Amino acid sequence: MTQSNRLPRGGRIDRSRPLTFKFNGQTYQGFAGDSLASALLANGVDVIGRSFKYSRPRGIIAAGAEEPNAVFQLGATEATQTPNVRATQQELFDGLVSQPTSGWPNLNFDFMGLMGTILGRMLPPGFYYKTFMFPQAAWDTYEKYIRKAAGLGRSPREPDVDIYDHLNQHTDVLIVGAGPAGLAAALSAARSGARVILADEQAEMGGSLLDGGYTLDGQPAAEWLKATLDELARYDNVLLLPRSTVNGYHDHNFLTIHERRTDHIGDRAPANHSRQRLHRVRAKWVVLATGAHERPLVYGNNDLPGCMLASAVSTYINRYAVVPGNRLVLMTTNDNAYRTAFDWQDAGREVVAIVDTRQGAAGAWQEEARRRGIKVLTGHAVIEARGRKRVQGAVVSGLSPDGSQALGSDQVLVCDTLATSGGWSPAVHLSCHTGSRPIWDDEVIGFVPGKTVQKQLAAGAVAGRFGLNECLEEGASLGALAATNAGFTAEPAAVPTAECRPETRPMALFCVPHHKRNSRAPKQFVDFQTDVTAAAIELATREGFESIEHVKRYTAMGFGTDQGKLGNINGMAIAAKSLNQTISETGTTIFRPNYTPVTFGAIAGRHCNDLFDPMRYTAMHEWHVKHGAKFEDVGQWKRPWYYPKPGETMQQALNRECLATRDSVGILDASTLGKIDIQGKDAREFLGRVYTNAWAKLPVGKCRYGLMCREDGMVFDDGVTSCLGENHFLMTTTTGGAAGVLEWLELYHQTEWPELEVYMNTVTDHWATMTIAGPNARKLLSELTDDIDLDRDTFKFMDWRQGTVAGVPARVFRISFTGELSYEINVQAHYGLHVWEKLFEHGAKYDLTPYGTETMHILRAEKGFIIAGQDTDGSVHPYDLGMSWAVKEDKPFSFIGKRGMKREDCVRTDRKQLVGLKTLDPGIVLPEGAQAVDDPNQPKPMKMLGHITSSYYSANLERSIAMGLIRNGHNREGDIVYYPLENGRVVEAEICGTIFLDPKGERQNV
Amino acid sequence: MSDVTNTAVDSTATPGVALMDQQPDDSVPARSPLHHVAQAQTGEVSANARVSIWEEPLKTHLILRGDAAAAGFREGVQAATGLDLPEPLQSQSKGDWSLSWITPDEWLLVGPGDQAFTMESRLREQLEGHYAVVNVGGGQSIVRLSGTEARSVLMKSCPYDVHDRHFPVGKVVTTVLGKTQATLRRLGDNDWEIVVRRSFADYIWRWLLDAASEHGVHTGPLLSAVKGQASHKTDTSTV
Repeated sequence: MTQSNRLPRGGRIDRSRPLTFKFNGQTYQGFAGDSLASALLANGVDVIGRSFKYSRPRGIIAAGAEEPNAVFQLGATEATQTPNVRATQQELFDGLVSQPTSGWPNLNFDFMGLMGTILGRMLPPGFYYKTFMFPQAAWDTYEKYIRKAAGLGRSPREPDVDIYDHLNQHTDVLIVGAGPAGLAAALSAARSGARVILADEQAEMGGSLLDGGYTLDGQPAAEWLKATLDELARYDNVLLLPRSTVNGYHDHNFLTIHERRTDHIGDRAPANHSRQRLHRVRAKWVVLATGAHERPLVYGNNDLPGCMLASAVSTYINRYAVVPGNRLVLMTTNDNAYRTAFDWQDAGREVVAIVDTRQGAAGAWQEEARRRGIKVLTGHAVIEARGRKRVQGAVVSGLSPDGSQALGSDQVLVCDTLATSGGWSPAVHLSCHTGSRPIWDDEVIGFVPGKTVQKQLAAGAVAGRFGLNECLEEGASLGALAATNAGFTAEPAAVPTAECRPETRPMALFCVPHHKRNSRAPKQFVDFQTDVTAAAIELATREGFESIEHVKRYTAMGFGTDQGKLGNINGMAIAAKSLNQTISETGTTIFRPNYTPVTFGAIAGRHCNDLFDPMRYTAMHEWHVKHGAKFEDVGQWKRPWYYPKPGETMQQALNRECLATRDSVGILDASTLGKIDIQGKDAREFLGRVYTNAWAKLPVGKCRYGLMCREDGMVFDDGVTSCLGENHFLMTTTTGGAAGVLEWLELYHQTEWPELEVYMNTVTDHWATMTIAGPNARKLLSELTDDIDLDRDTFKFMDWRQGTVAGVPARVFRISFTGELSYEINVQAHYGLHVWEKLFEHGAKYDLTPYGTETMHILRAEKGFIIAGQDTDGSVHPYDLGMSWAVKEDKPFSFIGKRGMKREDCVRTDRKQLVGLKTLDPGIVLPEGAQAVDDPNQPKPMKMLGHITSSYYSANLERSIAMGLIRNGHNREGDIVYYPLENGRVVEAEICGTIFLDPKGERQNV
Repeated sequence: MSDVTNTAVDSTATPGVALMDQQPDDSVPARSPLHHVAQAQTGEVSANARVSIWEEPLKTHLILRGDAAAAGFREGVQAATGLDLPEPLQSQSKGDWSLSWITPDEWLLVGPGDQAFTMESRLREQLEGHYAVVNVGGGQSIVRLSGTEARSVLMKSCPYDVHDRHFPVGKVVTTVLGKTQATLRRLGDNDWEIVVRRSFADYIWRWLLDAASEHGVHTGPLLSAVKGQASHKTDTSTV
């Protein structure tokens, strides 16, 4: 393939570096410096996709972020598939592989094309709602085909091979856009010494200075551009971010920048290098210098390939040395676009005519056109393009002075390119992100940024100042203002002067009238990506949609991945006209983040795979791994779940662990339990207020179980707290509740009882905790300590002692969550593994068996011990649990939850209460969450009594056991209730007490 | 206390608090939170490494709680440690000891690993009024981050501003690191101390290694010496 549209010289491409790429299965060649779009145009590729709804052939319209049609799927391999890439923003690299995302099944023969022709009339606006929403069940089927036909691209079916990362940035001044205004602003701010970030979405900074033949102070603009960028690069207080789109402007001047670090290099990023980076920026001041998007004119068949934005044509010619056709017709409402005709002519191609919609337009630009011998038709408009897969002619008609009517007889101009300019719409997207409504300005003929609460300034075209000199001056002055506001001494940088032809007033024209009504005229497209026409917008208003937000949703205007950057203003103006309102009255829809699509990878950053969430490990973790533990996530902790031996099923392992613990001795890594060190003379009083039970008399050396409630009286945590000294306690919490409990204690201390002298500190990580439980626990421990008297009568149940275990200073707590004789050994975590291994050295003869959380759960359920958060769910108070023994009503000071549990609803007798449940068939283990009913044959919805909270098979009891909530359960012991299961089976169970084993507690008191 | 503590501990200085020497003799092997990655700390420095990361394990970490405005606390800290209580977000250091501000009534005292009991005892002798001293050495460790790209590793890791102008040498901030929390202290231009919780140490280590991989990373303390930069042992007095 030859690059038939490539100019022999000029442009910012490197002809010495040819690059090969693929599009739609064909191989083409471009040059370094090309965008994918410019390379396709250079190769004369006209049709790059099919439209969403009508499946019409589409070509490249624009040269930047606003491109609605050339949205491609990139990727040479399955793992590197990337949807939603705008060809206009994708730099060409060698080996690039791209596919059109629309045009299923293919570009040339198109099923939807036929459908579009046949069903055209059947696809009015709102067709989603009218056609596909009913019946509801069919939506799944419709959606699959709509999505496919809609050309939104697809996600890769293999994991992304690249990495993405985040960088947190802080800056005094963030300047968005490195066009003339942004560059001038950067100079002013940078020279003040302020920290400056200058971000631009393009590979090269310079904005419009790259695209036209501007001169500054008599020199080519490129020279000032280079000098400016060189100066900025020298400052170490300046960060230049090319290829970086400021995609989101959030509250408090927090902005997100999507930097494409390697998308221009190849299909994959180099090793250890992130492909894309999300900069999370906190800026003291922001200068928006985002420029403006040219508005296309809306006329019949304006979507034919060859219909382009005037400025885009200039960009392709000047920057990429590509002339996308041979014979140009230019339609414009303003002087500025004449430049495109001149560029075209300078490139050696034919300008058929400039069609100026203004009556009697006359001035320097028209003068120059005449000088060049270009035909100018003023007071005329192109009402329709002709052609099938490419523009072949333009139907030109006279236009009434107010632009409302096509007049006179038509003439057809033969051409292959139809460039249009309806003026410029400021790119106000970012200023809208924080909720600021843009304001319509009749002078600008566009929306400009509205009032904002952000520390934000807007410079240049985004503020409606389109002249190059205005942009430079305003940029310099606002850059200085931003730096000054951020606390620096700044002066506006001196900026060069551009030589500009004076421009006469442009015309506000948003839809070129046809001789026929819009509904009968050839389709006049407003939003190319979602195929919304002028007629469709008018129909929506006729159907009663008066709010622009409703018009948007009904027609889908602006719903595409381009967010209607090209079409929205035209669409709003058409809606306003149809509603007999001013544009100001109709208003605009609001742009939201992100400005252009962002990959999920960039959003996730490194928070994925092994780094997705912290994994917390105990000091004995390596031992668990080495011994084959299966792990369970408890909060962020990795806790051993069970330790299967080779060939064992989970249930077999659990049975073995349960029996070994009750028959001899088992060991649990309990390090994850929350531990809070409490010191101060009021520690005891504080405990009395946060726990439901009494603490006033707990002597030094003793431990006590406590329940903690919220103000509403509902249990939220529990644990054992030990009195280490008269003014010193060690509280334990549930593993998952540790941080929350400490926060809770601090909250009450700091806000309610600051007068109490108490300090709380987490020591969860400081202590390694291992629990040995079982009849041989004492024998085992006695082999490892010679300074702790383990005699049953001196070291009693619920006592703690300090001493040495396996040579390590330890605190040993004789407490039990299994109902067995049990010791919790606590040593500084550095020595945890040592003590653990010593226990195994000595424990072999007792068949010391490690057990995990599952066996712990079974053993505690055999004893009816609750787990806060499993048997409670925030709606269960201590009395519901049958734990009135843990509530001390007559403490001198109240305690949290005391009033709550006295509320009328809390003292009902028919509350759901925790009971034990035995299935009549002892082999059935009820699923946790199963709902109890009294009569399984009652009609649905059945009256539910409560659910199963804990359910296991107990090897010790050789049957299943369960705990659950049952309405009025404490008075229903012996009743049979029914659990209808999902599979249709109904399980019968008898209500019983919660203690299934050793009801007198003899085993733990031996 | 005597019925609880079989080993005799003189806790007369602070009645009502269980002071405990938690360190065994040297025959008992200690394993720091990052013991499992210590093997990676080879001392071999790749020529391309612009970041080095290593653990400073098994140090004394004591949390001090008290009222900075109370003379009995402020002067007691000075008498016991030789260090003034640092102002908010600041640190003091002298010899092997450093004292960092953590929260308005909380400081972290870090020193040689075998000094926890001695220092806690000395503090309890000197401090007056309402205060707390808590040994947290088993539950924390220090990760050192050094090199010309150390700051950019932190920029990838935490939302706090670590720029020279905002985070001068000597400053201390407890902030978010990855998805967890850590205390950052700047020891030198390219030299940082990160205090991490034991259970999160592996996550933070992996997070930092990953963040540094782009710059070339060395796991070990030798980079600064090899690169001829200021030694990481540089004494950083208050800013």
